[in-house]
Amino acid sequence: MRALALALLMPLGLAQNTPEASGLLAEARALIDAGKPAAAVEKLRVLDAAADPRVAYLLGVAYYHSGDPARAIEPLAAAAPKLAPGSLERREAVQVLGLAHYLAGHVAESIPFLEQTREAMPDSIELAQTLATAYAQTGQPAKARESWARAFQVAPDSAAGHLLAAQMMIRVGLEEMAEAELKQAVAKDPRLPRAHLLLGQTALFRGRLDEAVALLKAELGVSPGEAMAFHLLGDAYSRQLKWDEAVVALQKSIWINPYFSGPYILLGRAYLKKGDTAAAEGMLRQAVQYDPNNKAAHYLLGQLLQQTGRPDEARKELETAERLPGAGER
Amino acid sequence: MTATLARARTAAVLAAAAGVVFIAVAPRARSAGPPPWPVTFVDVAERAGLHFPSIYGGLEQKRFIIETNGAGAALFDYDGDGWLDALVLSGTRLGEGTRTELSWPAGQEPTNRLYRNNRDGTFADVTEAAGLRRTGWASSVCAGDYDNDGRLDLFVTYFGHDVLYRNRGDGSFEDATARAGLGSTDARWGSGCAFVDYDRDGRLDLFVARYLSFDLASAPEPGKGANCVWKGIPVNCGPKGLPTDTNLLFHNEGNGAFRDVSAASGVARVAGRYSMTAAAADFDGDAWPDIYVACDSTASILYRNNHDGTFTDTAVLSGVAYGEFGAAQAGMGLATGDYDRDGRIDLLKTHFADDVPALYRNLGGGLFEEASVAAGLGVLNRYVEWGAGMPDLDNDGWADLVYVTGNVYPEIERHLPQYPHRGPRVVFRNLGGGRFEDVTARSGPGATVPHSSRGAAFGDFDNDGDVDLLVMNMNEPPSLLRNDYAGGNGWIEVKLVGSRSNRAGVGATVVATVGGWKQARTVLSQSSYYSHDDLRAHFGLGPASSVDMIEVLWPSGFRQVVKDVAGRRVVTIEEPPEPAGAK
Repeated sequence: MRALALALLMPLGLAQNTPEASGLLAEARALIDAGKPAAAVEKLRVLDAAADPRVAYLLGVAYYHSGDPARAIEPLAAAAPKLAPGSLERREAVQVLGLAHYLAGHVAESIPFLEQTREAMPDSIELAQTLATAYAQTGQPAKARESWARAFQVAPDSAAGHLLAAQMMIRVGLEEMAEAELKQAVAKDPRLPRAHLLLGQTALFRGRLDEAVALLKAELGVSPGEAMAFHLLGDAYSRQLKWDEAVVALQKSIWINPYFSGPYILLGRAYLKKGDTAAAEGMLRQAVQYDPNNKAAHYLLGQLLQQTGRPDEARKELETAERLPGAGER
Repeated sequence: MTATLARARTAAVLAAAAGVVFIAVAPRARSAGPPPWPVTFVDVAERAGLHFPSIYGGLEQKRFIIETNGAGAALFDYDGDGWLDALVLSGTRLGEGTRTELSWPAGQEPTNRLYRNNRDGTFADVTEAAGLRRTGWASSVCAGDYDNDGRLDLFVTYFGHDVLYRNRGDGSFEDATARAGLGSTDARWGSGCAFVDYDRDGRLDLFVARYLSFDLASAPEPGKGANCVWKGIPVNCGPKGLPTDTNLLFHNEGNGAFRDVSAASGVARVAGRYSMTAAAADFDGDAWPDIYVACDSTASILYRNNHDGTFTDTAVLSGVAYGEFGAAQAGMGLATGDYDRDGRIDLLKTHFADDVPALYRNLGGGLFEEASVAAGLGVLNRYVEWGAGMPDLDNDGWADLVYVTGNVYPEIERHLPQYPHRGPRVVFRNLGGGRFEDVTARSGPGATVPHSSRGAAFGDFDNDGDVDLLVMNMNEPPSLLRNDYAGGNGWIEVKLVGSRSNRAGVGATVVATVGGWKQARTVLSQSSYYSHDDLRAHFGLGPASSVDMIEVLWPSGFRQVVKDVAGRRVVTIEEPPEPAGAK
């Protein structure tokens, strides 16, 4: 998100050519532009930020670029209303203030400033994405959808608008909100590809396995060649301990897309539970081959080797798994 | 934002994960559906006299991680009258907008509370007389008879300075920390602890876990850091991003003093973990006690006993470090038990919201497999899970599962009501065949009325043959959940008295055989979340009225067998003394 916020800053242009800027302000501006915001902060500290909004504004911008958005807020909030309306400085102050609030976790506070910025940058998809995420995170799904619809250039109340909003909501961990959007998408277009799949994935995540199976079958009714639907269906069957059904679904997923490691991992697990350790090992080794950085593949292979009495080989795989990044934190 | 994106990744991984484990045990013989659930929990804390709240940080917001984790509770018989007494730990609170502890009016300081069981369903507050008044950020309690005088002593960990309380035997405890050599000049964050006789010399040594290194003065405010946002909402920072600490092991020298062997034993060699609850028992069946530590957001630790005074962390090889697919989880509480009745001790570890507890099935030989989703535990993943147990609530001979819940971010539910601050006491009934069913809604108001809970101690406080719960609630009085079991199943409770082993039998494994089935239990100094359970091993007998065989695997390594024991009572098994000259 920070990279996105930096990209968002670039189109506004810079204020180093402002005629009324003092030499010191110009130097600070140049330092910020040269990627030396900490040096700019040092230079600006000798000036009175309270007396000159241009100092406060640049100080805020410098703090923001130094990776300290929380500290940027106070000088920017003080400076923005005092800068000339419509000036580049004011636009940048408002923009950076919105982003600083957002990155500091003050999501609701960021929205008015991001909206003001949108008026100046109506075509910025980065801004639309940030604003939409902020709306979603503050419990305003309709406004979030409107903003994402702008970014993706679809009608906000269309089935596609609901689907895209849901997909983005899932990206930021708002599964319940996404589920509501997906249900609206399906109501508007029951044959919309991926809508049932995402609903099925959410049901699977929440442990509603029968519902997940039904939804994933519905997705396959719309998109019969959707490898991910077969993969998730195999996952759901596995959780229901229906190993034979799981193997069939996962094998179909691999036939359609042999380059995705997920079904190999689940097939390895399924064969292990069916007692076919050789087939399980083969599948897990294929998963490792296709996706050498997959922590789960190495970990499960290590566990299988340990359980089948090959501790040295197991240790190697488990050590590899430990070196790889993985999810899981509070 | 980093935390938000990381959380989203977690969700994606969980969504894509396939939780499947085949449980190779004989299914329960049932032709129709399971019979009605006969367990009703009723919170009798108020009428029983457990009035005092456990203060723990802010009410509406937790600014710092020290306010979030809460503390444990204990059900233990401190006066040796055969009735469980109740200890509930407490923290304190910071002044509004400050980083200093609130000044309380004299006499109103929050404190740990000891309640003596009056044997009539009520308790009396004996904190003052027991010498246990103390204000601070208490974390966990573990109990054991470290001086083998027949009386249970306590160790209480703190964010600050841990305390060893020696039971004088006259209703009071003395602070023996300094005399025992356990004092420290620098404040650290003690988390889990466990008395454990790791060298089998008959004396309980002491394991102390450290959560993390925390400096309140320099800690960032909520939202002001990469690990200070959850689902886009500013929250207290950590544990990710905060420096870790290492765990400690102290050898009992037999003269009332302990010696720090953390380095020599290899315990301190395990680094980079946020250690929480500890449980010490023989997890690999080699008759030597091991130590399992639930770790937050990092790999959990299994200190496997090398039989020579040292330990090796084998958690990864044993399959108990991570979740089923190798991801670190936010391990906080843990329970031990034998849910599949194969005579081996399985493990349950509780986690954060959007995750499910890990159920590690013991395969024998130090190997485990993660079985939570296959067992049916994946149906609930909204709650932050804490204290946990595997009691047989309906005495049918199958260990059920209980865990208490409560979010660490009270401010979250205003934005995301699906993550409530207060949650239920989740009850899963064991259906046999490795499967569980969520019966929380059918387990009475004691289970369904929400609280923000942390520690939970399991034990039969009213001596009626079923397992009750004492629960530590954040900024509320505790809950005392009386199990009003309405069925006719038999039961037995086994109290151990060691001679070659420590007197309390801490670290023993008790295996009861009833009708051809084995059930194993461990006698633990700490489990659940930062808590101490009834030391008596409870077994449900189903329709049977007696136990065919009770096998005790004492921490000394001695194996004792008692046959044909009548049920519906507490039986005491004494370890025979070592024959003269045997040692």
